[in-house]
Amino acid sequence: MTALRVLAKDLRLHARDARFIATLSLFSLSLVLILSVAFGPFFRDPAREASATLWAALFFAGVLGLTRALDLESESGGGEALRLTGADPFAIYAGKTIANFLLMAVLFVLLLPCTSIFFDVGNLAVLPTVAGVAALALIGYAAWGTLFAALARGLKARELLLSILLFPTLIPLWIGAVKLTRSLWADGTIEPVRDWVKIMVVIDVLGLALAAWLYEVIQEAEE
Amino acid sequence: MSSTIPGWWSKGRAILWTVAVLLVAGALYAAFARAPVEAQMGVVQKIVYIHVPSATVTLLAFGLTFAASIAFLATRAWMWDAVAASSCEVGMVFATIVLVSGPLWARSAWNTWWTWEPRLTTFLILWLLYGGYHVVRASIAGGARRTVSAVLGVVLFVNLPIVWKSVEWWRGSLHPRAVTMTGEMRTVLTLSMLAWVVFFAAAFQERLRLEAMRKAAESGGAPEAPR
Repeated sequence: MTALRVLAKDLRLHARDARFIATLSLFSLSLVLILSVAFGPFFRDPAREASATLWAALFFAGVLGLTRALDLESESGGGEALRLTGADPFAIYAGKTIANFLLMAVLFVLLLPCTSIFFDVGNLAVLPTVAGVAALALIGYAAWGTLFAALARGLKARELLLSILLFPTLIPLWIGAVKLTRSLWADGTIEPVRDWVKIMVVIDVLGLALAAWLYEVIQEAEE
Repeated sequence: MSSTIPGWWSKGRAILWTVAVLLVAGALYAAFARAPVEAQMGVVQKIVYIHVPSATVTLLAFGLTFAASIAFLATRAWMWDAVAASSCEVGMVFATIVLVSGPLWARSAWNTWWTWEPRLTTFLILWLLYGGYHVVRASIAGGARRTVSAVLGVVLFVNLPIVWKSVEWWRGSLHPRAVTMTGEMRTVLTLSMLAWVVFFAAAFQERLRLEAMRKAAESGGAPEAPR
């Protein structure tokens, strides 16, 4: 229940900050455009270049989303108020993680058709599987991102600090997402790279398990 | 300083450094003067006597950071934070040696300075992450520093098994699953391992001593030994 309330609060904050969402969307679209121009106009392996572009744009834009959520909370004093309620820390973490996941999912829904059009890849038949891959990647991103964002809260240059911790940690997740998406767009199946599903699941579960163990400690450190 | 840091530490420190320097000198002599020259790679192969022990010590150091971070979270004793930070910092030096000596080997063995093979890539990620540990630690003031560092010390450890198992999990690895040597080469490698571990211990205690002095300076009292 607490998780749902935190989720609703974070989503309300994002909804009120529509200008930021618009800016974030434009930023991620610009990244896709820049990379498609860099790889084009004649693509050697469009499926590979498109999947790399899609996930690079999502991961870069995601850092801005994570830090913005923290800023909004700091400005309103919501984080402090949440701690004072004595709510279960993992429920707070879960609510925030789901909110971050949904924010990333919105970006994914926006970027997927644009990337498909720019690189001329993909088809509707593989769309559900691509969505499944995206779910795996974005759950991991949100799980680890929310954990690291909580660690970086209150630090100067937290976008930079978040990036230097989050990107290296999530490289296996990023490689998995790129390889699986590429395989789907090029061959219509994930069979040749199926092992990456297991690796992504392990990273997702690890992120959630570590947060379940450590999020309370991080909250205490802020007091 | 000497009035609060026990005498055994000062004496032990001198002995440890003496043993470390002698062992490292002996190991380098054995590697370059006694170990046979490998038939295919020639003298470049001798990098292995520095590269492999440095990689082993790196994993040992980051493993110690992990264990000390857990101990800090459980006890909140400043000593464990000092152990974690000291071990991590010295470990970074050895990790850098690995990243420098690796390409020297790669240029000769694989005809390239760098290749995106699993062990190299995961080790570079490890280096970046533990570099991030120090940047974050240095960015935080006050009591939160120790807790945040301890959480990072635990979280970043996830990458160690990935580096260790990367040659098995991913295809296309150029690194062997295990370093297998025989005869004199094996003896020299074992000696090098021992020398590097003792050298790590000497550097680590020096860094830990510095933490003890810093703690004393922050609290305005005389330096005390970690208990």
